[in-house]
Amino acid sequence: MTAIRKIPRALMQAFLWFYFLISLYPLIWMVFYSLKNNDEIFVTNPFGFPNNLRFENYVNAWNQFNLPRYMGNSLFISTITTAGVVIFALMFAYAIARLRWKFRETVRIYMIVGMFIPLQVIIIPLAILVKDLHLTNTYGALIIPYVAFGLPFASIVFYGFLRGIPYELEESACMDGASIYRMFFRIIFPILTPAVATIMILQFLGTWNEFLLAYILISDEALRTLPIGLIYFQGQYATDWGGMGAVMTIASLPMVILYLFFTEQVERALTVSSSVKG
Amino acid sequence: MKQYLGNKNAIVLFLAPALLLYSVIVFYPIIQTFYRSFFEWDGLSEASFVGLDNFVKLWGDPLLSTSLKNGFLFALVLVVFQIGLGTFLALICADVTVKGRKLLRTAYFIPVVLSVTVVCQLWLAMYDPDNGLINKIFHAFGLSYSQNWLNLPESSIFAIAFVNAWQYMGFQFALLYAGVKSIPEHYQEAALIDGAGKWRAHWYITLPLMRETFKFCFVICITAGIGAFVQMLIMTNGGPGTTNYTITFMIIRNAFGANQYGYACAISVLLVLISLIVTIIINKVFDERREEAR
Repeated sequence: MTAIRKIPRALMQAFLWFYFLISLYPLIWMVFYSLKNNDEIFVTNPFGFPNNLRFENYVNAWNQFNLPRYMGNSLFISTITTAGVVIFALMFAYAIARLRWKFRETVRIYMIVGMFIPLQVIIIPLAILVKDLHLTNTYGALIIPYVAFGLPFASIVFYGFLRGIPYELEESACMDGASIYRMFFRIIFPILTPAVATIMILQFLGTWNEFLLAYILISDEALRTLPIGLIYFQGQYATDWGGMGAVMTIASLPMVILYLFFTEQVERALTVSSSVKG
Repeated sequence: MKQYLGNKNAIVLFLAPALLLYSVIVFYPIIQTFYRSFFEWDGLSEASFVGLDNFVKLWGDPLLSTSLKNGFLFALVLVVFQIGLGTFLALICADVTVKGRKLLRTAYFIPVVLSVTVVCQLWLAMYDPDNGLINKIFHAFGLSYSQNWLNLPESSIFAIAFVNAWQYMGFQFALLYAGVKSIPEHYQEAALIDGAGKWRAHWYITLPLMRETFKFCFVICITAGIGAFVQMLIMTNGGPGTTNYTITFMIIRNAFGANQYGYACAISVLLVLISLIVTIIINKVFDERREEAR
């Protein structure tokens, strides 16, 4: 009986590594072919490490197409969005968690509703709103909606953290005669650093990769973010697989590096998200 | 102190930016979507009230059944692959004697952080009938089997759904893994001592205790499947023909392709209702299980 159980055990673990390959090999294949020419990709060496590394694919990808521009747009939009979400959500969460007024519970529930609305459901009125506000083809057309959509989740996470802080902190600040604003920035903000870091990473990742809004709300080529700009490479690059692979690899690197640096925070953020929404 | 934390100016100042942004950009459009679903409207000229006409029209739209079918098939692929396989992997990986667990978990998660465009284009290359990795692998094993994966009307939806399933597997895996890990180990030890096999112990002890995790995972998978869009847009543009249409595809095409904003809003309302009903059903099913367990 035990012998029968031992064999599956090794098999099970082999299965974990088999899925490891399924998960990673397509990406490795992509990096490999980004360093090959078509002949090597299609005929001589479709699977393995490149015979000679053709870094010129990367040089071409960077120079011939608008890649630096799209990356710059994504970086700018993601950074401003992340900062906006963190600051506004923190202020809002502080008001509903600590300040004393009548309808704070109602307002909190009002905010939570936004977390459960699929983006595609409100995209039509939103597109018209963006036009009416004269934001079409500006960075604001993306940044403002991104901040608004980031607020519910971030607020609720901050709210959870803020509820756990002892009131003595505010009391002593009050005794010392510090204004409430000073106290907020000097005492509350630093205490919440771990939660802020978590939200920042999650928000930055999400904004960088956001597709639907960027696809609908931006038509100006110069304002495209990376996920949108990449769609248009496909047509231009149809015959040059190596170049396309290089573009895709460059586009992916920043987020993969970010993830590898902050693995722990991302995983913590996930567990938080499931407990908040569940 | 009461005065300090009841400072009216501070309350208004702290609340205003978030509340204003959220109300204008998120909440107002929700109301608008529902309201506009009763109008015939091209987004520019005066809208005219048509009652339930949009919904009647939607009921007769031949694309609706295609879209619903594709949505549910998409969801099915996600559930089977991400939750089915994901749970299996999480259970094995949670065993502390497995070596390289950290590496495995990181590798499973990497596709999640990539842009959906990169992933779709990578899989376009993978599915390429002549030079794609998948057909090449079949050739390498001496099989002459090759397919134009994305061009078969009956099965292309599975090929597309698989791309999403592959990319976000790591996300569901991380949730399920955390779920397995949250269960005190002595629960399983007790079952093992009672003579249950490891997998029996998992089936009767671990999985039922992960009810809350499963509830969350099912809601995410099924609503994501029903609302699927980007993969179709990039990989097949809804085709061949209209065979890969989904509800979201209908919304976007009707609104931004045909300028039928009122009709598109009606489809959006349907999407909200379906998502809501699915969420309620999932909650009910899992809560009933809990009652039975008692």
